[in-house]
Amino acid sequence: MNHFLKGLIQSSLKTTISTFAVFLLFFPISLMARQAPVTGTVTGAGGTPVNAASVTVKGTSRGTSTNAAGKFTITVAPSDTLVVTAVGFQNLEVPVGTQTDLTVSLAASNRELEQVIVVGYGTQRRRDLTGSVASVSGSELSRQPVLTATQAVQGKVAGVQVISSGDPNALPVIRIRGTGTMLAGANPLYVVDGVISDDIRNINSADITSMDILKDASATAIYGMRAANGVILITTKRGRAGKMVVSYDATLGVKEATKLVNMAGAKQYAGYVNEASVYYGSGDSIVTAATLASGGNTDWYNEILKKGFFQNHNVSVAGGSDKVNYFLSAGYLSDEGIIRTNDFKRLTIRNNNDYKITNNFKISTLLSYSRSTVRNVDLGAFNVAYRAAPYVIAKQNGKYGNTSLSNNVGNPILDQDKNDNSGKGDRFQGNVVGEYKPITWLTLRSSFGVDKNNFRSISYGYKYANVGPDNVFLTSGSNQLRDKSSLTVTESEGNRWVWDNTATAAKRFGDHNLTLLAGITAEDIRTRSIGGSRVDVPQDKDQWYLNAGSTIGARNFNDGDRSTRNSYLSRLNYNYKDKYFLTGTIRADASSRLPANNRWGYFPSVGAGWVLSNEGFMGDQKTFNNLKLRASYGKVGNDGIPSNLFVPLATVNLPYFFNGQEVLNLRLEELADPSLKWEVTREVNVGLDFSLIKNRLSGTVDFYDRKTSDALVRINIPAILGDPNNEYITNAATFTNKGVEVALNWQDRIGSDWRYNLGVNLAYNRNRIEKLNGGQALSSGSVGGQGFTTKSDNGQPIGSFFLWEVEGIFQTEAEVASSAQPGAKPGDLRYRDINKDKVINADDRVYQGSYQPNITYGINGGLSFKALDLSFGGYGTGGGKIYNGKKAARGDFRDNIETSVVNNRWTPGNTNTNVPRANLNELPASTYFLEKGDFFRINNLTVGYTLPRRLLDKFSMQSLRVFATAQNLATFTSYSGFTPEINNGGTLDGGIELAIYPTTRTFAFGVNVGF
Amino acid sequence: MKNNIIKTLAITAIPIAGLLAGCSKNFLEVDPQGQTTEVLALTDPDAANKLVGGVYSTLYYGGFDKTTVGFLWVLANDIASDDADKGSTPGDFGAAGEIDNFTHTSNNFIFNNIWSGHFSAIISANKAIDVLNKGSLEQSVKNRLIGEARFLRGLYYFNLVRFFGGVPKITTAPLASEGSSDALQTRATAAEIYALIIEDLQFAADNLPLKGDAASQVGRATKGAAQSYLAKVYLYQKNWQKAFELSQAVITSGRYSLVPDYNAIFREKPVNGVGGNNNSESIFEVQTGVNLGENAVSPLFSNGQGPRGRGGWNDLGFGFNTPTIDLANAYETGDTRRNATIIFINPTVAGNSTGTVLWDGFRLPSKDSVENERYNYKAYHSNIAESAQVSNNKDTKPKNIRLMRYAELLLIYAEAAAMTNNAGEATAKLNLVRSRSNLPPSVGTQANIWKERRTELGMEQDRFLDLVRQGRAGAVLRAHGKAFVDGKHEVFPIPQAQIDLSAGRLKQNPGY
Repeated sequence: MNHFLKGLIQSSLKTTISTFAVFLLFFPISLMARQAPVTGTVTGAGGTPVNAASVTVKGTSRGTSTNAAGKFTITVAPSDTLVVTAVGFQNLEVPVGTQTDLTVSLAASNRELEQVIVVGYGTQRRRDLTGSVASVSGSELSRQPVLTATQAVQGKVAGVQVISSGDPNALPVIRIRGTGTMLAGANPLYVVDGVISDDIRNINSADITSMDILKDASATAIYGMRAANGVILITTKRGRAGKMVVSYDATLGVKEATKLVNMAGAKQYAGYVNEASVYYGSGDSIVTAATLASGGNTDWYNEILKKGFFQNHNVSVAGGSDKVNYFLSAGYLSDEGIIRTNDFKRLTIRNNNDYKITNNFKISTLLSYSRSTVRNVDLGAFNVAYRAAPYVIAKQNGKYGNTSLSNNVGNPILDQDKNDNSGKGDRFQGNVVGEYKPITWLTLRSSFGVDKNNFRSISYGYKYANVGPDNVFLTSGSNQLRDKSSLTVTESEGNRWVWDNTATAAKRFGDHNLTLLAGITAEDIRTRSIGGSRVDVPQDKDQWYLNAGSTIGARNFNDGDRSTRNSYLSRLNYNYKDKYFLTGTIRADASSRLPANNRWGYFPSVGAGWVLSNEGFMGDQKTFNNLKLRASYGKVGNDGIPSNLFVPLATVNLPYFFNGQEVLNLRLEELADPSLKWEVTREVNVGLDFSLIKNRLSGTVDFYDRKTSDALVRINIPAILGDPNNEYITNAATFTNKGVEVALNWQDRIGSDWRYNLGVNLAYNRNRIEKLNGGQALSSGSVGGQGFTTKSDNGQPIGSFFLWEVEGIFQTEAEVASSAQPGAKPGDLRYRDINKDKVINADDRVYQGSYQPNITYGINGGLSFKALDLSFGGYGTGGGKIYNGKKAARGDFRDNIETSVVNNRWTPGNTNTNVPRANLNELPASTYFLEKGDFFRINNLTVGYTLPRRLLDKFSMQSLRVFATAQNLATFTSYSGFTPEINNGGTLDGGIELAIYPTTRTFAFGVNVGF
Repeated sequence: MKNNIIKTLAITAIPIAGLLAGCSKNFLEVDPQGQTTEVLALTDPDAANKLVGGVYSTLYYGGFDKTTVGFLWVLANDIASDDADKGSTPGDFGAAGEIDNFTHTSNNFIFNNIWSGHFSAIISANKAIDVLNKGSLEQSVKNRLIGEARFLRGLYYFNLVRFFGGVPKITTAPLASEGSSDALQTRATAAEIYALIIEDLQFAADNLPLKGDAASQVGRATKGAAQSYLAKVYLYQKNWQKAFELSQAVITSGRYSLVPDYNAIFREKPVNGVGGNNNSESIFEVQTGVNLGENAVSPLFSNGQGPRGRGGWNDLGFGFNTPTIDLANAYETGDTRRNATIIFINPTVAGNSTGTVLWDGFRLPSKDSVENERYNYKAYHSNIAESAQVSNNKDTKPKNIRLMRYAELLLIYAEAAAMTNNAGEATAKLNLVRSRSNLPPSVGTQANIWKERRTELGMEQDRFLDLVRQGRAGAVLRAHGKAFVDGKHEVFPIPQAQIDLSAGRLKQNPGY
């Protein structure tokens, strides 16, 4: 309590809140006179009733809203004027006069501008926005055969980079307007129906109404504490009053690898390594003719991969009455992935209900449950399959080829067969909301959300021998074996609750429109895990319990984490004559992850909008239907750091033996920064929204400048301080992300049968480390024996590659002699001697660009002709680099090589090439392995046909659409690896292809049925 | 309407009040879950004892990481001397190869890890001493515990001053903000460091129990250990009288005796009732053992020096720190120490290669299947006959490291006696050591004692520093073919990384 009160007193928001309370108390109340009840009906185009239209008496606070039949009753005087507003319609003022039963017919408004956007603790019409917010509708998301909604958003929103993965259970990596942190989390904040979340894999895309992406600081500042990486708001479906709607959707398809790398076959491989031996080694054949003759010719990628089956079924029931609206859905998704033994299944159930207790009190429950079952695969298999010698037979007569004898890698399919790494997750996410409107212009809302996430993982390693009667290999021996079966069981649990309490006052005073929000929230996040490992556990699955294993070498573990947050927030929206808009927000956040002296962070923002097209001087022009200028500034934070970074921890349980007995001891050695503080991002955004040519062309342009300061960075500290790793983490670095985003949409129809739309978006971002301020330039991206490949230093983008630069290939001994590499031979790579000291060493490394693309773009379109519809989406990036880690990590001279390396290698007869001579040793890190990561991909192509109504009637169906869809149909890239999308989540080592689940291609067909 | 507003306020107030009340007093004060903070650790009544134990556990620093007396310290000292070569395959571990060839620079990470390990250990000793001084333990217990911490601090500074020369003299636990202060980052002179070492070891000698006394425990520093190291320090100071007195005190304490069988000294278990861990000759020894965490060991100490195969057999280690032929030839005929110090790999003979059978019966293959010709027997830990970790992890073999043996103490005494014109005592103690190794008597001259030190302490990280002490490192090592430069190579370079972090306040040793 004390801290809350202290917080209240310290917080400048306290003032805001009390002002607000005073404002509530003394707000002048109009007197009422000579009034009589009037009824009315609000209709839209074609006389359809408009539900939930707001009907207010002009100049007063009195009002009501329409029911499902469009009916309303209000007490008014004949002199009053009613103001009728509804989402999707233009506002209309109706003088009451003598009428007692009004019929109000509303004209549809510009749909896009009237679109309701979820902005965090409230909604706004798009036309009222002053910040940069993008929206994607649920129908666009659920169309694609993918697990998460964020995956489906790829290419649809300017400035949002989505790095997808082929892993059936992957959470795509999202970067909104570049990478703004090195050590704190770089993922955006997810908010599902108002409840903060960091993993949305439990959300069925079919349940989503809309996804709104808050990009600039003015829009995100209301989520101050973790808004620095952008905020993604997900709104799930609700029922509507009216007829019950039952729908069923199904998609069935097949997944496959989009692209494989062609590895050398057995003979080609033998030729290459033997040639290398002649040139660099003893000259003896590494692979003899006899070995080849007795071996096979294995394509290891063929062995470890498969075509996987994909299916997704969703069924939902929605409807409602005056009092209750309901939405109930169930979804089942299964995805086998493309790697043998990989499997994923997810069941989701959602129930969103709204209960109208009284006219001004509503309770909503939004409950979801998901169960996922996954069998994971070791992505190292991709690297192993790259390296394994092709002459080794993969498997024959139940026995496996012995790749550890050929080149010291494990047989990847044996590894797949002998490991069972499965998990089962249960997640309950729910939210109960009470909403009370004591008076029309005031809404009090309290929302309590919980998220309970349990996961159990069981990893079993089967026992197998490499010699003796139980030998599993075609040839016995060497080092791939497991002489004891092993089991690791982990049960982990995450619990989170978030309690938001807000009050929103919305009122119009003549031409002045005002909305004021104030709120208080608290959040508690706990995780704990418990588990153990045993050996000698029987292989029968029913025995996979810790108690079934040996007590020798038994290990148990149990740990946990907890953090809490408490915030005060407020937002003011003001507009004058729908021409001038102003938004101001402030949020005060406290996080237990920061020390008491720096615990509170204050995150203000301000945004302004000017609708030029509503100005008199624009009245005559016909070009612009809408023209709006926006500008904003805001400050947001990031507390995505480990919980106890500022607390010096003791090193405990340090053993030592006294009198032959183990004694557990203690050291106080950890140095922590006791004044750790928030990473702060300040952002300026200037934007322009426009629509032209009778609203057929609409678009948005945004310029932004984001600066992250006090960013966490590791600082090396002198060893004489005694810290265990001689470094500590503190706030020092400054980064910037500057960029432009453009989005254009065209939609039109030709005649009455053809409709089409086309959207393009393009974003440019420049990321830079401005200052490390004494922080350490972070080296990362270790590849095999090459050591690090990236370095994040002043003046460079985060995660820049730092490598020797290949100048070419030595052609003659004379060239070698005059170079800085006296030990080289013709055919070797020649590195640039940057400092001209005639030695190639660490000082000759040069920055070679970063994995971060500076351009991302998307193209989306749709076309329909009568009952036929077609849609497509494409996505591309430019300017990012990829380090071909599989190629670079060829550590053993007997490892396989790519066909193109063999074919193009330097030989005295093939000197015009950039591929070095056949070599034995691992090559050092250089630009030889660095490639352009640019790509363009046709993400989705869908063709659908909606069956005519007359055919459906006899089956009592409302609608039936059949469709065929292709996900990731074609990728255009010069990158030679498996995928130009490297989803490893790293900020410092993002672009290295090693153990990456490549993007997959899916061909599927399906139905959408409505009853 | 007014009522409405009051109702509104009431309803607003309820959830907010509920929210406030629902949260505990310190909603935002969340202690680390399942992790011990420093504050919490110090509430343990046994904290002081545990803190001193924590300083002992710095003896385990090893592997390729920071170290005190572990793997990299072993490599740097033995390889720099004429006792050992780098070993393993020629291209393996270039950083150690640089030291072998005296081409090492201040960027060699081995130096940084030796520097870091020692200072980390010293700071943990300082913290323990600080907590003990502030605590309210009974005075004798307090002094004993402080004595143990100061013993270890003295030992570590003794390593540092011999290895690097003068270093920063730190006797407190500094804050991070003090990291680059002049006071901390200026190198004290070697003399100042020696003064601190003498003060620390003298305090320990004055306050620690004798080996075997009621207050002593096997593995803890004793009065004898402190006196022995102090004697060695005085030897380096050429304070022969003090060295004599202190070593004499250890001898007359009667708590130590030579193990009759030199082979048995380095075994885990006694052989025919003699030797083994913590034997009668052991004055100070790193205690290792088998435990669940497999972390009560000096990682890679044994495996890093174990015989390395060329395929075809399950080999015993990385093959570093291989004894030189020069060391093998330094033993007199019949010296039992030669075969106890060096594992000789036998040549491959066509038709019948017997290999090498070790004391536990393990048979090493002949040279064609083994990378190097000789290995350090004193680091050998048997897979068959001695303790193994549950996982059988070779890197964590529980091999105790003998840091100070009575034989060395006798040689310190002999040298001090020789230099204080007590030839009789010098000869007597020298021959005590020689006769154990089946050697005929010799005369206790300084030269003979120096020669004896090499063979008695071979592969025990004494030779290089001893040669420097004797003032003949350059002559001996150049004769051995090393590029030793006088006035430079007597000490190793201050790690460049540390100079950079001190913003240049740390000054480099001459020549580097």
